[in-house]
Amino acid sequence: MIDLGFRSFLHRITAPKFERFVKNNQPLKMVFVINHELKMGKGKIAAQVGHAAVKATLQSGELRPEMLDAWLSTGQKKVCVKAHDVRQLEQIEHQAKHHQILTSKIHDAGHTQIPAGSYTVLALGPDEEEKLDALTGELKLL
Amino acid sequence: MSALSDPPTMAFLCRTDLKLSAGKLAVQCAHAAVASLQYAKKTHSRMVQRWKESASRKICLAVDDEEEIEYFLNLVQKASLPFALIKDAGLTEVAPGTVTVLGVGPAPRHTMDSLFGELKTYE
Repeated sequence: MIDLGFRSFLHRITAPKFERFVKNNQPLKMVFVINHELKMGKGKIAAQVGHAAVKATLQSGELRPEMLDAWLSTGQKKVCVKAHDVRQLEQIEHQAKHHQILTSKIHDAGHTQIPAGSYTVLALGPDEEEKLDALTGELKLL
Repeated sequence: MSALSDPPTMAFLCRTDLKLSAGKLAVQCAHAAVASLQYAKKTHSRMVQRWKESASRKICLAVDDEEEIEYFLNLVQKASLPFALIKDAGLTEVAPGTVTVLGVGPAPRHTMDSLFGELKTYE
């Protein structure tokens, strides 16, 4: 705290508080939407979701640390659902951005199983369950 | 050895005897990835940096049962690599406290190969 410069000090005072993202202890979760048309193996899907989880965690650590802390300390709920194709993924991503939910998308390098650059997973959140359910509620669990 | 020929790797050792669904397995690996990364950030921060800057390589390996996971956990601890042992809360498919996945790394690829070379990738 002491080694902060003057501008950092000003920023701390004037920047919007992150607390407003985390209201009344709403349950939080992270959702992974899998591109099901690629027909990846289980291990492949797991690794891709691992990529997505790390990317989403790092991103929210930068942008919404309060939200991340709340999610980490409440059991890090994660859910995996499937989408038919790339178009559906892009649609969900678009809606999520519209509702200011953090998104991280993963494109595969294509070393195994699928062509390079395939859009494999979209991670949403961590964010409030209600907001995420509105977007992904009707998708089937994987 | 340059970073290119030896990209840091994270490995997930998944139990095959539980016969988890794809979604459940994926979520367990995601838990392992986040938890192992948080461990590694404290103890192996330069390795984490290199891992992020390269392709963040990850691999899913198959182990038979909990005993085998414990065997490898022992090896990993001896090699002082970062790891995360994931126990499920048991809300959906398995009993509470079941060990599902061991996440290891990020660590150099050759270290991983020498530890887990005999294991098959998870199909």
